[in-house]
Amino acid sequence: MKRALLGLALASTAAFATPRPARDTADVGNAGSYSVGIFNPLRIAFTDRVELQANPLLFFVAPHLDVRFAILKPAVEAGKLPMGVRLTAEAGLLMPTLGMRLMKGFFFPSWATSTNDIGFMLIPRVGLLVSGDFFQDDVLTFRIDGQMRIPMGPHSATPLNSFLAPLEILFAAPLTGFLGRFGGAYDHAFGDRLRLRGEVNLYVTGAQGNLSVAGTNVGPLAPISPFIFTAHVGLDIAVFKYSRLTVGALFANYDQGASELKVNADGFSERVRVRSNNILPTLDFIWAGF
Amino acid sequence: MRRLMLLLPFLAGCEWVADPQTFTREEVARFKAKAEHPAPPANPTRLKVMAWNVKYGACRVDFWFDFWGDRTQLSSTEVDDCLARVAGIIREYDPDILITEEIEVGSKRSAYVDMVRYLLEHTNLRYATFDETWDARYVPSEGLGRINLGNAIHSRYPITLGERIHQAERTDEDLLTKTFTIKRAMARAEVDLGDRTVAVYGVHTEAYDNDGTKQKQIQQIYELLKGETKPWLIGGDFNELPPVCDEKATAGSAESCDGKLRLSGFLDERASSKGTPYEQPPYTPSVMKQFYDDFEPYIPLARYGVGEDHQRPYFTHSVLGPDGVNDDGRPGWWNRTLDYLFVRKGETWTDADVLQEPGRQGISGDPSRASDHAPIVGTWGLP
Repeated sequence: MKRALLGLALASTAAFATPRPARDTADVGNAGSYSVGIFNPLRIAFTDRVELQANPLLFFVAPHLDVRFAILKPAVEAGKLPMGVRLTAEAGLLMPTLGMRLMKGFFFPSWATSTNDIGFMLIPRVGLLVSGDFFQDDVLTFRIDGQMRIPMGPHSATPLNSFLAPLEILFAAPLTGFLGRFGGAYDHAFGDRLRLRGEVNLYVTGAQGNLSVAGTNVGPLAPISPFIFTAHVGLDIAVFKYSRLTVGALFANYDQGASELKVNADGFSERVRVRSNNILPTLDFIWAGF
Repeated sequence: MRRLMLLLPFLAGCEWVADPQTFTREEVARFKAKAEHPAPPANPTRLKVMAWNVKYGACRVDFWFDFWGDRTQLSSTEVDDCLARVAGIIREYDPDILITEEIEVGSKRSAYVDMVRYLLEHTNLRYATFDETWDARYVPSEGLGRINLGNAIHSRYPITLGERIHQAERTDEDLLTKTFTIKRAMARAEVDLGDRTVAVYGVHTEAYDNDGTKQKQIQQIYELLKGETKPWLIGGDFNELPPVCDEKATAGSAESCDGKLRLSGFLDERASSKGTPYEQPPYTPSVMKQFYDDFEPYIPLARYGVGEDHQRPYFTHSVLGPDGVNDDGRPGWWNRTLDYLFVRKGETWTDADVLQEPGRQGISGDPSRASDHAPIVGTWGLP
């Protein structure tokens, strides 16, 4: 059944002149171009150098907007830089409080008998991406970005320490006060219809902080390693004229507070803290237009 | 967000999202103190025993299911301070055997502290075994997070075997709740006293079921003890009242509980708990009768007495601590008995007591501010 559906989608596609462009690179589309996935953000280029980006699923519960600005763009500066290097700056702003408050009772306490709550905050983000071409259609990208919390009132929520790395990354800045990332990705084209993408990221979160109860600091939370390592391998399958189906797997290694038992030679055991691993499937459908 | 699709929990790595605890009976890990503690007397003829539900090192911090507060988490400082109190009281009484319930070894709410190890290093107890009853990688309710809770048995004498024995599970929870919530298991340890080996059991039965699970668990405990071949000791939080009367007896009859034992309306029950999963189900003290008939309780019913005035010195539990007041303005204090010690019929207890407050059995620490249960103690004359 799956094979039949995939075949139908591919068969309905006109012959591809070139592979789909690599995703999540420093490329900024030309004015009027757009792309949007079910989970990937909506990205619209207003000029040849400026794109706006937001996630429709999250926008109404966690208003946010990112601006991407092409500092170096080969189409404009053709021939000036080797390997078609392009450089893009990103800046954004997020206000996550409403969405987080909707999760009270799950992931966050209800605080039924106290004045504790998730505080209002702003999360500014800045980043820089650089991409270059390899071979005919391959793209190498490096990125660095950081976001931090600007508190706008009392805030009692603490880090999730959850078992899913994407959640930890999503809530790192609102709950620990900071999230930094350094990552790289290589995107290889297999013919006109397939792209294989490998990406690694090292994230650094803020400290766990102190526990605030009704405005009183009752001491530090247990320390958790701030480093999150992720690796993602994904396959993009071109469908219809501009769209693509993406499938992949995400691996993450980070401190979830887990411990393991080690048995000593005398038969007695030791409990030792360990980092934990996530292996998660990823899937999306991305529409694009030019 | 883009990768939140298909976050199937069961594909989320190599660790169980929640341990389904499918065992019937299995060996568990044993631990040894790294600190040098004085060796106990060889071939003892009596053992000082303590059983204590230590409330995951929270002392008197009220969590959301207590209904007097809404905390879901403790700071490292709070856990350290509380465990120092708990360990101080244990050191003062200085038991040979310690049975603990609600002890945690890596839970988010208790700052990931390994409390079994903490007590090994901060008391004179030299060996331990831990019976895990709740092992969930992440409990989303109230952001509770990682939970690793259970019962432990600590001993000054070597523990040669640690086991956990599965108890009947609740049938009144949906699958999702059941997956992530606490299970129940008895802890069993074999303790080598030199000239003999004794079996020590730790129990913590169901608290909030409405399907008879607790009664099944108590019956299971009874039957297991009847079949135990070694000299044995059991202690723990049975979540049940003493069988002073029969709750099923008609009012006015000789067996009726009227005026003999409070079955409901305890001063620490908050009205807002009604209708929640944490509402106190009706007690059924008659299920404990066979324990008193066939085993040796540390405090016999004759000493326990009839009516609250007599029974008050032996109450072991209060959700509300002495620094809080209920909605009627009454301060919290121990108001019911849920914790017990038993040995085989005909064996002896001496100096049995409930350490409700400073001064009991010579302690200076204050147990009423160290947990929502009082430590119960006694000296077991070995057979």
